[in-house]
Amino acid sequence: MTMILLAGAVLLVLAIGAALILGWANVAFRVETDPRIDAINAVLPGANCGGCGCVGCGDYAAAVVQQGMAVNQCTVGGASVATAIGRIMGVDVKASWPQRPVVHCAATQEQRLLRAEYRGERTCAAANLVGGLQGCIYGCMGLGDCTHACAYDAIHVKDGLAVVDYLKCVGCGACVRACPRNIISMIPFKADRVLAVCCSNKDFGLEVKAVCKVGCIGCKGCERLMPDLFKIKDNLPGIDYEKYDSATDFAPVLNKCPMKRLMYVGKPTPRDLEATKDQELPKEARADFKTTVDETEWRG
Amino acid sequence: MADSQPTAAERFVNGILPENPIFRQILGTCPTLAVTNGVKAALTMAGAVAFVLVCSNLLVSLIRPLLKPHLRILVFTLTIAAFVTIADRLLAAYMYDMSKQLGPYIPLIIVNCIIIARCEICASKQGPLPALGDALGQSLGFLLALTAMASVREILGAGTWLGLTVLATKENGGWFDPWSIMLLPPGAFLVFGLLMGAVNWYSARASKPVGPA
Amino acid sequence: MDHLVSLLLLALSTAIINNFVFHYFVGICPYIGVSRRVDMAFGMGAAVTFVMGVASFLSWMVTYFVLRPGASLTAWVAGLAGADAGSMDLSILKYAVYIFVIASAVQFVEMYLRRFFPPLYKAFGVFLPLITTNCCILFACLEIGTDKRMTSGSPDFWPLDLALVYALCGGMGFALAITIMAGIREELDLCDVPKALRGPSIVLIIAGILAMAFLGFAGVDTNIGKLLGR
Repeated sequence: MTMILLAGAVLLVLAIGAALILGWANVAFRVETDPRIDAINAVLPGANCGGCGCVGCGDYAAAVVQQGMAVNQCTVGGASVATAIGRIMGVDVKASWPQRPVVHCAATQEQRLLRAEYRGERTCAAANLVGGLQGCIYGCMGLGDCTHACAYDAIHVKDGLAVVDYLKCVGCGACVRACPRNIISMIPFKADRVLAVCCSNKDFGLEVKAVCKVGCIGCKGCERLMPDLFKIKDNLPGIDYEKYDSATDFAPVLNKCPMKRLMYVGKPTPRDLEATKDQELPKEARADFKTTVDETEWRG
Repeated sequence: MADSQPTAAERFVNGILPENPIFRQILGTCPTLAVTNGVKAALTMAGAVAFVLVCSNLLVSLIRPLLKPHLRILVFTLTIAAFVTIADRLLAAYMYDMSKQLGPYIPLIIVNCIIIARCEICASKQGPLPALGDALGQSLGFLLALTAMASVREILGAGTWLGLTVLATKENGGWFDPWSIMLLPPGAFLVFGLLMGAVNWYSARASKPVGPA
Repeated sequence: MDHLVSLLLLALSTAIINNFVFHYFVGICPYIGVSRRVDMAFGMGAAVTFVMGVASFLSWMVTYFVLRPGASLTAWVAGLAGADAGSMDLSILKYAVYIFVIASAVQFVEMYLRRFFPPLYKAFGVFLPLITTNCCILFACLEIGTDKRMTSGSPDFWPLDLALVYALCGGMGFALAITIMAGIREELDLCDVPKALRGPSIVLIIAGILAMAFLGFAGVDTNIGKLLGR
């Protein structure tokens, strides 16, 4: 009997002692943190993807409060998180478009000229060091460094070409950083589907045709038609997305491009889904030129 | 909200392979490696863990209205410590040799991640019946995993299974030269790693995605 | 001198020969989980060593003064209550008391570090709550607390310095094991591991090979002891 009482007494004394010491420590060792940091942390998605440029969500919250970082840097959370953070910090948030990656290459394996069989490490970074797998030294090699970098299963290599699944992509930018040829870039998506230039080849004319059936030959036709939107640099058009308006009728310039390198990329439209609903498709959607734009014919 | 939680039966079935504590959740790896050099020790450990898991889950799920969020891990741990003390004393009383062989690994059930994880994930959120189903399922999964490992190690390491001779060893006039590495730590790690690889391979095959993955 | 040699042999034995990870299989969960990068692994190892020192000291104190048969405080209280002081053996409370002491100590240390050593807290503070339910700490405390010399009730139990050396060297052995594994895993990222074996499986297989290597140290401490004439 005494044993039980003694045992109970020991445990009780230990519990009370620990409670007192820890209670005192909780007050004595209090670290003052700005409550706004916790509030922002609660609002952030917690994916720790690094898209904002900070090491994790906690780091970004601290940076916003202590270093005045912009509140709309969270690409995963998008506009809603930016508004919420803006409310906590007491700043106005101007609307921004979601940034999504675009792969500036759309040549499949059989459209490329292949060089000798590559037997090195099967990573794009390694292959790029020795000049790549194919004739085109600018385009996608399809060894999947971007797939490996993506934490959201949103980019895959299909038929030698990296294809983004815009239904899964959150815009963290990991694939952009992973690509050794820098052919993926982040573009503001002002609509579900935007126009993009799907080639990175900086050579001209026959040199391009020698290595790729569909590479941009630098004919400057697009720039002549719509000079304020398209700017040619190094034989390659660039689209000025500040001036881009998704309501514009792009049919003339789409027809003009002889290699059909101006393509719509983005989430699948109902037309796409309707046209492909009977097909046995992989889970992600691909841009399908035929169903996206009506009037243009494939003359390739 | 309660509808979205798994039922008792679902919890039970989940514990066996889909959420197997050893091969899928990778919790409780310490006893898996330590006590599986004989099937008898493995079964005893699995029994002890089952006892503690069932009792803790039931108790925690009954006291769940009283749990404060920042103190709950401590409450779980102390509940488990009480039941482990009981289990340890029972083993020492009724299976003394086994208790000596298992040694410090019985009290280490207190910090076995499986039990704390189940208390946290299931018992603190659902009633006694789902908690019981969960505890039984997880214990069954744990038992199967432990038995698998112990069987491999014992058969290859000593030629016996639960003390019965399976492969006659050279000492007993047979042909089998036992792989004593299996009874030593390296064997434990290797068998565990390979078994986990086998389970991964099987799971990947069973749930092959449709189309290019 | 003789005592120093005992300490040295104990240190060698605990850190390398009977390594906590490769011989006693404790601390495997963080071993698999935190061994991805060398800096994280080293932080975890340092945190484990530190907590082991603190926790083993506290549990040694509680065991010596309260829990073991014939402990002074318990005997005094029992004497006050008029019961037979010699028969008071509270060892049954060991498990609950140890885990309680470990949890409270870790909580206290975390708060202290956060306030007074922010860079240290940033380095390994995140690991501290993980370590509370780590097998290593409880195992070390149990080994110290259930040593034969203590449970027999004789006054000649494990002196405090042996207990501390045991705990700290055990922690350093864990740190050694996890850092080696982190170094290997960083290289493993560039290798072509079969799909089924990726992740914990290959880590365990490599741990098995490392355990085989560490097996080679078996008997070193007895032989060194023999060299030193004991």
